[in-house]
Amino acid sequence: MLRKYIRIYLECIKISVSTAMTYRLNFLLDNFIMLVSNILFPLVTLLIYGSGAEFPNWSLYEVLLIQAVFTMSTAIANIFFGGVLWVTMRHIIEGSLEIVLIKPVNCLFYLVASTVEFGSLTLFIGGVVMFAVALSHVGPVSILMILQFIVLFLSGVCVMMGISLIMAATSFKWVGNSRLPEIFDSIKYFGRYPQNIFHKAISAVTSFIIPVAMIGYFPAAALLGEADFTAFIAILPCFVFTMGGVLLFRHMIRLYEGAGG
Amino acid sequence: MDFIARKLKVVKAVALVTYKEWSAYRTHSMVSIFVGPVYFIVQYFIWSAVYSRRTYLNGMELSEMLTYFGVTTLIGYITMDFADWNLQMLVRTGKFLTFAIRPIHHRFFALSQKIGHRILGLFFEFIPCLFIFVFIFKVDLRPASYFWTIISVALAFLMNLYMNYTIGLTAFWLVQATGVRRVYLLLQGIFSGGLIPLVFFPKALQKLLLFLPFQYVSYVPAMVYIGRYTLADVSVPIPHIVGLQAVAVIVTALFSELVYRLSMKRFSGVGA
Repeated sequence: MLRKYIRIYLECIKISVSTAMTYRLNFLLDNFIMLVSNILFPLVTLLIYGSGAEFPNWSLYEVLLIQAVFTMSTAIANIFFGGVLWVTMRHIIEGSLEIVLIKPVNCLFYLVASTVEFGSLTLFIGGVVMFAVALSHVGPVSILMILQFIVLFLSGVCVMMGISLIMAATSFKWVGNSRLPEIFDSIKYFGRYPQNIFHKAISAVTSFIIPVAMIGYFPAAALLGEADFTAFIAILPCFVFTMGGVLLFRHMIRLYEGAGG
Repeated sequence: MDFIARKLKVVKAVALVTYKEWSAYRTHSMVSIFVGPVYFIVQYFIWSAVYSRRTYLNGMELSEMLTYFGVTTLIGYITMDFADWNLQMLVRTGKFLTFAIRPIHHRFFALSQKIGHRILGLFFEFIPCLFIFVFIFKVDLRPASYFWTIISVALAFLMNLYMNYTIGLTAFWLVQATGVRRVYLLLQGIFSGGLIPLVFFPKALQKLLLFLPFQYVSYVPAMVYIGRYTLADVSVPIPHIVGLQAVAVIVTALFSELVYRLSMKRFSGVGA
């Protein structure tokens, strides 16, 4: 069973790579635009520090580290779960989800696997470069810190997956609204900055309820040696959030009614 | 006089139909009622932290900064435009043909559509967000001068349309103009001042931005709203900058007409 799913997943990745190789110019352009449009928000940080101002108690490279981690997480999420919203939305609008439902695989798995798309590969590389530059300026990093970082980073990626699934699930009811991502993008915005600049009530929400702080802030804090108890407690809500996304999506599939596609 | 009355009749008819068409999707517009204030809250905390150890930054106080972000968001709802997307779609699918044979200029049709679409934006985006900013966030959003602000926002409305329309016209050469559009929108996003006030950019870039059209879409109307305009250490009185904005709009409109005429020479269609 598991082996079948892995085989399908690898096959989907192969198809996605060959699509990218067929439409090379489109692939390169997608990659370029994705990179440039996501490099914008660190630009604001650069301009703030460039004007001689700062976030209290945060050096430029510390803030950039948070934003680099956020960028890497965004790129991974775009590649692996970015397409699920759009494909679900299209199936709902056209009433053609049956085509997926009658396949002998899990519907959610199939939708996620078949929309793997490498348009954010350059963005990921850009994120890694920014990450390396920022990290080289923030002082020594121990093995323990790296391990903490990996655990927290993966939790952050789970949050991204949860968000993608919640958006896709919402598109079952809020049909054809291409502005859905804007809602979640605005919430994710809180995860891009040091959490201590926000009001306590807000950082409680971004840590434990909609855990967007895990996308950028907590993993970066681990590398700065500032991952405290809160960061590790916050892992739990991340998985609850992701599971919530999965369950919500499955619930919505049960509610789906089609008329033959 | 008769000519103007006829034009107004066209504007009214097209705007009304567009309004009705898009009201079906009014909840899509209403996404802004959530997104706008959430972004503003983030900006509030970012800039409160940045200003915690200083009163002035690039000549702006914290309260001015917050007003700036509130105002650019609100002006964005009035001037928002997708003429480029619409036009390139018409060209690519061949549907432009049906406009080429109508007795009105397509750009005028696009303007009328935009008026209808943005009246919807006024009701479902601008007014709710204005209320949230003023009554919940207590941002001071009284313009320095209502007269100049209204003129400047109206000019920004036209500027955005003419610039986007010209970009949309590139579809006559490129067919698939998505790439050009996205690059342009990106440049506009950064250099119009929507991201951060333009005075934060390096001086050399600010000097360049003085001569580019982007600032007239967002930065200029926002600064007119606030009541003083500075870029690259050049301070211009409000009436003068609005005058310059008007000149920029006329030049852009003429340029878009030139490109339109060139593209009409390239256009050929078969019964779409």
